[in-house]
Amino acid sequence: MATIPMTAVDRFRAILGDDRVLQAPTERLLYGKDGSIAEGDCGLVLLCETTGEVSACLRAAAEEGLPVVPRGSGTGLAGGAIPLDGSVVLSVARMRRVISVDPLTPCAWVEPGVLNLDISTAVAHLGLHYAPDPSSQAACSIGGNVATNAGGPHCLASGVTSQHILGVEIVLPDGEVLTIGGPAPDPAGYDLRGFVVGGEGTLGVVTKVCVKLTRDPPAVTTLLVDFPSVASAGAAVRDIIAEGVIPAAMEMMDRVMVRAVEQFVNAGLPVDSAALLLVEVDGTPAQVAEQAAAVERICRDSGAASVRTARDEAERALFWKARKNAFGAVARIAPNYYLHDCVVPRTRLVEVLESIAAIGEKHGLVIMNVFHAGDGNLHPLIAFDRRDPVQVDRVLAAGTDIIEACVAVGGTLSGEHGIGLEKRDYMPLQFAPLDLDAQCRAREAFDPDGRLNPRKVLPAGAKCGELVLDAGSLPEGTWL
Amino acid sequence: MTTVRTPATREELAELLRAASAEGAPVAVAGAGTASRRGPATDPPERVISTLGLDRIIGHEPADLTVTVEAGCRLQTLQAALAERGQTWMQAPARPGATVGGVLSTAASGRRRLRYGPVRDSLLQVVLATGDGRIVSAGGKTVKGVAGYDIPRLVVGALGTLGVILEVTLKLWPVPPSSGWFTATGDVAALAELGEALRRDLHLPAAVLLEPGRLSAEIIGPPADLVPPPGMAAADAPPEPAWGAEVLVGVPPTRLPALAAALTALGRPFQAELGVGTCRVGVETAEDVAAVRAAALEQEGHAVVADAPPELRADPWGPPPPGVRLMERLRDAFDPAHVLNPGLFIGDAVRSAA
Repeated sequence: MATIPMTAVDRFRAILGDDRVLQAPTERLLYGKDGSIAEGDCGLVLLCETTGEVSACLRAAAEEGLPVVPRGSGTGLAGGAIPLDGSVVLSVARMRRVISVDPLTPCAWVEPGVLNLDISTAVAHLGLHYAPDPSSQAACSIGGNVATNAGGPHCLASGVTSQHILGVEIVLPDGEVLTIGGPAPDPAGYDLRGFVVGGEGTLGVVTKVCVKLTRDPPAVTTLLVDFPSVASAGAAVRDIIAEGVIPAAMEMMDRVMVRAVEQFVNAGLPVDSAALLLVEVDGTPAQVAEQAAAVERICRDSGAASVRTARDEAERALFWKARKNAFGAVARIAPNYYLHDCVVPRTRLVEVLESIAAIGEKHGLVIMNVFHAGDGNLHPLIAFDRRDPVQVDRVLAAGTDIIEACVAVGGTLSGEHGIGLEKRDYMPLQFAPLDLDAQCRAREAFDPDGRLNPRKVLPAGAKCGELVLDAGSLPEGTWL
Repeated sequence: MTTVRTPATREELAELLRAASAEGAPVAVAGAGTASRRGPATDPPERVISTLGLDRIIGHEPADLTVTVEAGCRLQTLQAALAERGQTWMQAPARPGATVGGVLSTAASGRRRLRYGPVRDSLLQVVLATGDGRIVSAGGKTVKGVAGYDIPRLVVGALGTLGVILEVTLKLWPVPPSSGWFTATGDVAALAELGEALRRDLHLPAAVLLEPGRLSAEIIGPPADLVPPPGMAAADAPPEPAWGAEVLVGVPPTRLPALAAALTALGRPFQAELGVGTCRVGVETAEDVAAVRAAALEQEGHAVVADAPPELRADPWGPPPPGVRLMERLRDAFDPAHVLNPGLFIGDAVRSAA
């Protein structure tokens, strides 16, 4: 690893004070990881608390020529917050103020370290919430959500993060602070705000976010539907959409996952179910009644064994607890998991699930499925034990097979987790060299020196021509 | 002398751009021309590339709620084809003769934006020809996807200055089985208050439009929901404004009532989208443009001359937004020779003002 020169460390200490510049081996080890299976090499940790500090740190890093990896809560699943080769990690996790709430627009300005769920909690008394709801919403930060363009079950009807961000304050790699967008729509010029969302920390460090808030629906119905086969559940998903019903959320779990979750959460799930569908419809009472009836009818026509409607808010919360704790439940099966995030056309769901099952058999691995069925966003999860090197090789091989199977039917590499490190080298499966080159040039418009979150998103050689600024092979030991 | 070329293939179009870039010859990109009276009043380039030759609907996937279509396809053609399968491009404006590429390049959103969001949110994948003739694809055909940088969002509203849109994949919605418009009349301040109450009390109205003397709201839902809100009566949809010249104002939604009051004092006709923050304003003179812009700035917003004769377009954008330096670098990345729609890039206006 490259060591950070003492002159640079002293500059950061002068900006942040000694206690917010972390150098101890344990701390660097912790900040070398995130929610993915990758492991990095962190040289120094900066805990920023204000926009001014972020700007001063980035300017100092620019003058010292140091690469910087921005970090929120570190829950990302694609390795986007992993530092490589002793990079500096700049954490905004301490920037946790809700700056202002405008209940009429409705929108709120918040700092990037505010947790996703804390936004909704802060505005619940106004009958408002922040719509995107990743399973990690109690731990993930809004800054990280903006970086990855995060999703969640309720993004089926309401869209992913980019549709809920009205503006951001961003610090560019040279320390310049810009406010782009805000509550006034359609400013002249390019939509920089839209481009920054999903930038995975490679374009700048977001230091304030203007989130659009959503009014709580007057009525909600949540149905738990038990199917005798994955194929029949998939057919129901297809037919519900085809009938013109767009539920607020439509989630599927397969048998292995249902059993793991039931042991963990005790929600009374039907453990003999081959596939479980969790469907939520919301809106006016009349709308909800009409849509819930349509969903139930279509599910029964597709062969559902039972349809259970949440009787009250407590039961609804229990259903969602089962869904949102699915990843945690995997610990009962194996100590580690490798999670994928492909999206396939809804019409190809069943066939892809069959391919994934075959891939699991081929590699002798347990692959579990819990995913956003309504928009075709799969989350095949490979359970494994990282202490077994033979198994690890099979896990990585199976991951590649899964991605290839999804892209082959017209799918995409990531629906909501981002590319980060994990999916970086698969980008050429989905994009031609000219496409990657265009992305690389657009990134350089923000970060000409390639110092911000280097070697993420774009694979080696993405830049057409001789110059490779920010990509390259990964250091040994990054994986597992 | 103006020469219009209408390539029949994307490769042919890209070749024209490659040649233009090599020669440093500016090119105007044209769709149907329904939104062409914008930008500074400079002489248009002699070379015009029309997208009207690329007008195929490549694939409609009703079960996926997506359609892939070429940029030169007319909106009415696309919507008619989608309607046959009970679907619609929900965020598109009511501008039947416009092309798909034109709608996206001008970021022209329809009136149901309050409920369904801006047209920008409907674009899943774009294929574009850059200024130097590279054919680049970005985004993905699936209804959800975050692989790679969001070039599709960047292209929407870029007025053709980053590339010529060749083909897009759009996210669709089912045509709602029933919907209804409701209206109330009165003075603007009272109507604005009624409109804000509607936004609070109704679940996701599709539109709440404030005009001088009239408030209109569209509700989408089952027949049981289509009852007149308090103080309103069932009505036909209000007509689309048809002014000789139009300025598009954007202010924070909470500032719209104050903007409406200011526009009323100026005697300007307008149609404001409550909850969205946009307001279409009719103008007649350069003084009107200046007065409307001053009113927009007063409410922490902006005003763009969206459709007007040249004499009203001396300053089409107003004060530049933050980040023009980044926009210039993005322009360099996609159109290194700056041949595409010169004048329609805001950075050029900023530079010539400086």
